[in-house]
Amino acid sequence: MNKTLKRTDLFWLAFTGLVALVPLVPAIAANSFLMHVLILVLLYASMAQAWNIIGGYGGQTSFGHAVFFGIGAYGAGMAVVTYGLPPWPGALIGMLAAAVVAVLISYPCFKLSGHYFAIATFAIVEIFNRMFLVWYWVGGALGLDYMIVEEGLANLMWYDSKTGYFYCALVLFALIFGIVRFLEGHRFGYYLRAVREGQETAESLGVNSTAVKLSAMALSAALAALCGAFFVQYNLRVDPGMVMSLDMSMKFVLVAILGGAGTLAGPLLGAAVLVPLQEYTRALWGGLGGGVDLIIFGFLIIVIVVKQPAGISGIVRDVARRIARRPAAAKGGASVGTS
Amino acid sequence: MALLEVRDVTKKFGELVANDRVSFTVEAGTIVGLIGPNGAGKTTLFNCVSGLYPVTAGRIFFDGAEVTGLPSYRIARMGAVRTFQVVRPLKDMTVFDNVLVGAFLHGAGGAQAREAAESCIELCGLTEYADKPAGDLPIGGKKRLELARALATRPKLLMLDEVMAGLTSTEVKAALELIRHIREKGITLLIVEHVMEAIMPIADKVVVLDGGIKIAEGPPGEIIHDQRVITAYLGEKFSRRMQARKEGGANG
Repeated sequence: MNKTLKRTDLFWLAFTGLVALVPLVPAIAANSFLMHVLILVLLYASMAQAWNIIGGYGGQTSFGHAVFFGIGAYGAGMAVVTYGLPPWPGALIGMLAAAVVAVLISYPCFKLSGHYFAIATFAIVEIFNRMFLVWYWVGGALGLDYMIVEEGLANLMWYDSKTGYFYCALVLFALIFGIVRFLEGHRFGYYLRAVREGQETAESLGVNSTAVKLSAMALSAALAALCGAFFVQYNLRVDPGMVMSLDMSMKFVLVAILGGAGTLAGPLLGAAVLVPLQEYTRALWGGLGGGVDLIIFGFLIIVIVVKQPAGISGIVRDVARRIARRPAAAKGGASVGTS
Repeated sequence: MALLEVRDVTKKFGELVANDRVSFTVEAGTIVGLIGPNGAGKTTLFNCVSGLYPVTAGRIFFDGAEVTGLPSYRIARMGAVRTFQVVRPLKDMTVFDNVLVGAFLHGAGGAQAREAAESCIELCGLTEYADKPAGDLPIGGKKRLELARALATRPKLLMLDEVMAGLTSTEVKAALELIRHIREKGITLLIVEHVMEAIMPIADKVVVLDGGIKIAEGPPGEIIHDQRVITAYLGEKFSRRMQARKEGGANG
């Protein structure tokens, strides 16, 4: 009991400290490349955290999240470009549509176990990509290009400064992390982990594993769609290749797994390492042709997964344990039965 | 009316008949032992009753309702909860969280469930391991975890699949004490067990399976004299020993 109290205290201390620093960020990073990187860190952390609900806590490795992300992006994009509305109603419809699509896709896929689920979700990305390429109502292969509208929160669009986007990304991040933090301590979160650890065992304890997985998938997809809506507002254009690609799906998976799937801090850690790496390698070596950043990506993943399968958060935990053990050992190892 | 009624249940795997028209009842508040040699179909029967396997033929009733063909989570929610012979800890979760998953069944409120989980952990002697990953427990601990987790769901019928196999004799004694305690709380028990010294003294009734067929059903005192049971399973020596122990009054 004592130990967990201490850990949450530390968590809130770090949290308060970070929040206090937030207003300083735009001043330091005004309109620079750094600001862009920070926004992407928050966006990718949010995306990976959305994926983490079903992929990490639920243990169902989905390579289909680009589809949900894309649906959210198209929802906001079509509201603005096709209908001349603010992006908000489009984002909302996109979230609902993504949740519905996720449930429809997952229901048959969840009958497949383990790797087959992952493979099935792979195929779905390709199907949606092709479908959106030839679907003229959503802009086809050309995609949607934003026209000039009034900037501000109502239209979720800014031209001169990235500060507005930064704060929006921060809200997105706080929302999704808050939801996952709430779920962690809630019955649903426990059931989700129980299903991951042993579906038959969970069922023997009265857990309807299909319902748990489907709800987790729907929530995860809706939040991924919300991230997609932010993404399109930030890029001011969308086409199928940008959002509904395996490349995009991999980003969800890699950031979460590299950071530590199934942990609250993992997606943030993963994004904090991968995004700067990706953006700076692209800025430095972009002229060599796309790919150098991906080579480094791949190399890093291999190193981390081999060294610590639980990702960066696993490494952090090991280091924290080693530090915690030192004073305990000095006391004669009396810390074994801390309860 | 009986809490559990198994009526003519047959389970085939292809041509292999694992259970052949097995019928028996479990009365509320009793302890029923399910015994028989390896491969007699005890665990298969458990899997049928708990909804893990669909039955090939026959019907199962629990607490006044038919449960044949229901998914296992629905049967668990009705109050028939089982443990697994091959222990299945939720490995990456702590012992406490394992039991908490069980406790959430009838305690959606977090605080209530946590309290229930804590008391089950204490009852099963797992307090010192509560914060450890369940995968790190020694085998005896994992067996007790199976019990604690099932108990936390507040079942009406607790089905134990060889919880005492592989335990030391001291551990068996503790387990028996625990099972008596569980019965006193008003929970009915159906126990698959190989350790005869453990099951015979506590069971109100024993059902004996051999080759998928029920060969006997009755109080332990009668079962140990049943010639078919002795031939199929117990052996002459054991029967004499149990008899001698009974007459000597050293019934533990």
